[in-house]
Amino acid sequence: MRYLSWAYLAAMFGFILLPVAVLVVFSFQDGRLPVPPFNGPTAEWYAKVLGDRDLMAALGNSMLVALASSAVALTLGFLAAAGFAQARLPGGALMRGLIIAPMTVSYLIIGLGLLQMFNWAGVRPSLMATGIGHVVINLPLCFAILSAAIGAPQKSALKAARDLGAGEAQVLLLILAPMIAPSLAAAFFLSFTFSWDEFIIAFLLTRFDVTLPVEIWSMLRSGLSPETNAVGSLVFLVSVLLVVTLELTLFRKASK
Amino acid sequence: MTFRMQTLGLAAAGGLLSTTALQAAEDLNALIWCDHADAALLEPFETAHDVRVNVKEYEGTAAGLTILEQSRPGDWDVMVIDSVDVARAAEAGFLAPLPGGAIDTSATFPEVALTDAMTVGGQLYGVTEKFGYNTIAFNKAAVDPADMASLASLWSGKYDGRIAIYDYYLPVLGLVGLAEGVDTADLDAAALETLRDPLMGLRAASRQVSDVVGSQTALATGEVDILIGGGEWLTAVLHSENPDLDWTIPEEGGLVWAQAMAMVEGTEKPELALEFIRYILSPEGQARLATSSCYWGMPANKAAGEVLTDDEKAVLRWNDQEAYLARAQLYPVPDADTDMAMQDLWTDMLQN
Amino acid sequence: MSIERSEKRLGAALAAPALLWTAAFFVLPFAAMVWMSLGHMEGRAVLPGPDLQTYARIFTDPSLAKGIRVSLEITLTVTVLSVLLAWPLAWIIATRVPARWRRLALLLAVLPFWTSYVVRSYSWALVLGEKGVIMNALTGLGLLAEPVQIMATRAATVIGFTHFFVMLLTLTIYSNLVQLSPNYARAAEDLGASRWQVIRLVILPLTLPGVMTGAFLTFVLCIGDYITPQILGGNNELSLPQLIMLQLGRRGDYPLASGLSVVLMVMVTLAYAGCARWLKMERV
Repeated sequence: MRYLSWAYLAAMFGFILLPVAVLVVFSFQDGRLPVPPFNGPTAEWYAKVLGDRDLMAALGNSMLVALASSAVALTLGFLAAAGFAQARLPGGALMRGLIIAPMTVSYLIIGLGLLQMFNWAGVRPSLMATGIGHVVINLPLCFAILSAAIGAPQKSALKAARDLGAGEAQVLLLILAPMIAPSLAAAFFLSFTFSWDEFIIAFLLTRFDVTLPVEIWSMLRSGLSPETNAVGSLVFLVSVLLVVTLELTLFRKASK
Repeated sequence: MTFRMQTLGLAAAGGLLSTTALQAAEDLNALIWCDHADAALLEPFETAHDVRVNVKEYEGTAAGLTILEQSRPGDWDVMVIDSVDVARAAEAGFLAPLPGGAIDTSATFPEVALTDAMTVGGQLYGVTEKFGYNTIAFNKAAVDPADMASLASLWSGKYDGRIAIYDYYLPVLGLVGLAEGVDTADLDAAALETLRDPLMGLRAASRQVSDVVGSQTALATGEVDILIGGGEWLTAVLHSENPDLDWTIPEEGGLVWAQAMAMVEGTEKPELALEFIRYILSPEGQARLATSSCYWGMPANKAAGEVLTDDEKAVLRWNDQEAYLARAQLYPVPDADTDMAMQDLWTDMLQN
Repeated sequence: MSIERSEKRLGAALAAPALLWTAAFFVLPFAAMVWMSLGHMEGRAVLPGPDLQTYARIFTDPSLAKGIRVSLEITLTVTVLSVLLAWPLAWIIATRVPARWRRLALLLAVLPFWTSYVVRSYSWALVLGEKGVIMNALTGLGLLAEPVQIMATRAATVIGFTHFFVMLLTLTIYSNLVQLSPNYARAAEDLGASRWQVIRLVILPLTLPGVMTGAFLTFVLCIGDYITPQILGGNNELSLPQLIMLQLGRRGDYPLASGLSVVLMVMVTLAYAGCARWLKMERV
C-alpha cells in the first residue's frame, strides 16, 4: 500500500510536470523547431521575447486589464456581500443567484453575448470592453468568497459600530474590510489570475491592443518557434516566484 | 489593504482611459493578413511618418467583410484582401477608389496585376502586392518527386495517412477541382457537388487538416510528407531547418494567390492610407513583405529584385516565375451563396 | 420597524451596483444572443426572426449535430478520467505525505496552473507529437517499433484537458479531505472496518461534495473551451466551441453561432441541475 502510494504520487507528478519541463527545456533550443533532438542551449529566444514590442505591450495590457477588472469586481463584490449581510432582503435568494450565475456559464457565451451587444450599441472592441467582461466573470467569485467570510462575528461587530454612531463608509472601510482582509486579498488574487489568463473573452473583445494570451495565440498561429516556449517559460517562472512569495508571506501569516 | 487596492485599482482604471487618449496623433488602422504584422515591415513606415500602424488580422474574405460591416466609417483605413475579391468588396461599397496614377504599378508582374478585375465602374480599387502558389508541398526525402507531378497521386492510396490538408477552403477546393478537371473559373454551386466525393476521399487519405503552424510542424517534423494547399509560403520559412522540403506545380495545374492592398471606404486619412500603400509597393517595402516572418511570397513589384539578396531570390524561385505563372490558375471567385455552400462543404469535410 | 426598513434600504443600495452590472453585462447580452439565434442568415445578410430556422438547422445538419455529440463525449470522458486520477492523488497528499511536506506536495501538484493556458496546450503538442519527447523515448528504448499518432486525435485533446482538470480536482478534493475529522476513520476502524472499507464506505462518500463541485467545474470549463481541441485535436473532429468560432471567424454567421451557444448553455444548465444538490457554489 505504501509503495503503491509513492509510485502513484511519482507517476502523477511526472504527468503533471512533464509538459512544463519540456516547455522550459526547449525554450533554450538552438534552432527553429522546439522538438527533439535538443541542439544545445541558447538564450536567443529570450532576448527575442524581451525585445518584442507587441509582446511587451500585450504584457502591459494584460496587467492593466487584470488589475482594473479585479479592483472593480472586488469593490462590487464587497459592497454586495456587505449589503446581503446587512439585512434579509426581499427576493434575496434570487438576487444572490443572479450575481452567482455567470460562474456557471462558459466564458465563450459571455464573450459572444457581450460582442453582439457592443456591436449593436456601436461600442468598439477594446481593452475596456475586455475588462468589463472580466468583471462579469470575477464578480461572482469575489462575492462568493467575501459572503462566506462575513459570519456572525462580523455581523455583530457591524451592528455594534452602527449603534455607536459610525457612518456607513466608516463601518465598511474601517471595521468590515480589516476583519476580512485575508479573504479580500484571496479574492483579488484569484480574480487577477483568472483575468490574466483568460483567452476567449479577450480574443473576441479586443482589436489592436490585445492581452498576453491573445498575443501568444497569434504567435502560435503565425509559425512554430521556440519563442513561444520562451514566453511561456517566462510567464511561468515569474508567476511561480510570485506564488511562492505570497505563500511565504501573506498566506502563511493569514493561516496562523 | 483595501485602501491600497482601491487606489491601485483607480490608478489602473485611469491608466486604461489615458492610453486611449495618449496614443500618437496619427494612427493608421489596417485590416490585414499575418504577414503584415511583422514589425520589421511596419517600422520604417512608422518612423518615417511618425504614425502608429494598428493591425488586426483576419482570415478569409467573408470574415473580413463581416468585420467591416460591424465597423463604423473611419474605423479602418487600409486592408489586405485577395485580389480576386476586390471587385465584390468594392461593389458592396466597402472600398474607396484609388486616385488614377496615385500608385506606380508599371513594374508589376503582368499576370497578377489584375487591373481589370480590380476596376469597377472605371475606377481602380486595389493593387496587387504579393503572390504565390497553393499547390503541393512535400518532403522530397520521403516521397517520390515523380509522383508529385500529378495530383492524382494523392488519391492513389500510396500516401494514405501521410498527407495534411491546409485548412483554407478556397485554394484546396480549387485544387480538388483541378484534379477533377474543373477550372477554378467554372467552380459554381453545381460543380461543387461533384467535388464532394473526391474531397471526402482526400480527407480519408489524410492525417490532419491544419492551419499554418500545424502544417509547418507536421511537415517539418515528418509527421506528414505532403501538404495539399502548400507552396513556397510554407516551405520558405523552414528552408534552413529542412532543405528537403520542396514544392511543385503538378501537371493538372496549381493555384496562384494574389493579395492586394486597398483603401477602406470612409477613411478619414486617405493621404496617409495612400502613402502606406505606396510604401508597401516600394522596392524596399516589397522586399520586407516578401520575406515577412509569417510567410514568404513573391513581391508583385519586379523592382524588389534589386533589394532582395540572391539567397532570398533562390528560395523564392525568382527565375522560375514565368513558367509557374503560365501554368497556374487564379483563385475561385464564388458569389455569396456559393461561398456559403463551399464553407458548408468544408465544415462537413472537417467533421466527417 | 423603521430601523429594519432603513437597514433593508441600505442593504439593497449596497447590493445594487453588483446587480446592475450583472444585469447590464450578463443578462442583457445573453438576451441579445438568444434574440440573434432566433434569426437566420441568407447570403451575407442576417434576417431577424423570430423564427426557428437556425435551430432546425442545428439539429438536422449532421456536421453541427455531431459537434454536440463530440463535445459531450470529450467532456464526459475528461470529467470521469480526471476524478478517477485526482481522487487518489488528493488522498495520498492529504493522508500519506508527512504533514510538513504537504503544502509543498500540493503546490507541486498544481504547479503548471501558473503558466498561461494557451501555452499549456501548446506544450502538450510538443510532448505528444510524432517527434515529441514521448514517442522519441518509446522508440528510442525499443518499446515501440513505429511512433503512434496521438497528436491531432481526440486522445490528444483528452490528455491535454485531463492534465488541467486533474490539478483542479486535486485542489477541490484535497480541501474537502483535510476538513474531515480523522475521528470518522478511527471510529470505523474501531468498529472493525478494513482500510479499504474505511475509504470506500466512509471517506469516499464524505468527499462527494468536493468531487461534485470539481466535476461540475470541469464540465463547464471543458465543454466551453476552444483552445485545447483547436491546438491538440488537429481539426479531425470539431467540438461545439470550435464550430461556434468557425461561424464567427470565417462565415460571420452570428445567428448560427448564437444558436450553438444557446445549445451549449442548455447543456451546462442541465449539468448544473444534475449536480445541484451537492454544490454549494458560494463556497467554491
